[in-house]
Amino acid sequence: MKLPHLFAASIIALPLTLAGAQAQTQLSRNEIVNSLQGAQSKAEINAADVRAQALQNIQQYPGDNATTSLPISAQLAKLRQFNVEITFDFDSDRIRPESYETIGVIADALHTPYLWGQVFFVVGHTDAKGKREYNLELSQRRANAVREALVTTFFVPSEQLEAIGLGEEQLRDPSNPDGAINRRVQLINVGF
Amino acid sequence: MSKSLWAAIFLLVGTIIHTQGAYAQTIGFADAIKILSSSCGEDIQKYCKTANIGNGRIQKCLAENEARISPRCKADYAGVYVSLQTRLAAQSVVSRICDRDARRLCSGTEPGKGHVLRCLLKAQPSVSADCNQAIDDAGYR
Repeated sequence: MKLPHLFAASIIALPLTLAGAQAQTQLSRNEIVNSLQGAQSKAEINAADVRAQALQNIQQYPGDNATTSLPISAQLAKLRQFNVEITFDFDSDRIRPESYETIGVIADALHTPYLWGQVFFVVGHTDAKGKREYNLELSQRRANAVREALVTTFFVPSEQLEAIGLGEEQLRDPSNPDGAINRRVQLINVGF
Repeated sequence: MSKSLWAAIFLLVGTIIHTQGAYAQTIGFADAIKILSSSCGEDIQKYCKTANIGNGRIQKCLAENEARISPRCKADYAGVYVSLQTRLAAQSVVSRICDRDARRLCSGTEPGKGHVLRCLLKAQPSVSADCNQAIDDAGYR
């Protein structure tokens, strides 16, 4: 049986059966603020370019798993960022209620004056199980759902958030492609 | 007047002040939405299986299923959305309430991008009670 493609914590790699119950990690607003603040100026990175690079990576280097990282990876890795666990229904972009609080904590962080006026990428990642094109599309829809919740339910200004799905194109641990450590939502501060 | 009467008046005034203080307080977005998951999580999984949280879909679904959801969820869910709105409202009045403090204490600060509020956060001991309260209510501290 195929395991659910859940985004999970990069920090706590839990078996999937526990992921739901453990979703309410003691994530603090200040932890997120401290990890994200301090962007000096606008990083010249366009969300559409990042999406296009992920798709191109699949087309140019087909195969079961990605063998190359995206050209933009190194630049993204230098930016202020934070990883969170958000759980979704199997094969779906529906956020499960146990993850509402996590999105609320992100909202609390984004509303503080420390992060005002900055633009953030909400980046969805999957593990390497399943087809790459499928994972890319699913992670984009999930990133969209997180962005939508932040903007509509939690009133984060829409111009501050860009949703990007990278599927399995940028694994956190390439030596463990199917591992839960790869399933995550990344917040990246791309600056003012 | 007897000692016990004074004590009663003291208690009463204390209660009124405390209650008013509590009215002014707001809760954060995470604390508000946590109530939705704990009071309505099961109902959401039962009656709103395809609804996502964004765009008021869960709220709408719970309202449509009000006859079926648990009493606890029914009692709590609308309040969650009021709390979210209350926090937003508290944030929207900060710059007005703190305007005089900003001019008094942060005149050299370049406005925009949260700079003035960060100045006011640093200047907390010199900031007026009203502005400090507004900052607290907005969850900016």
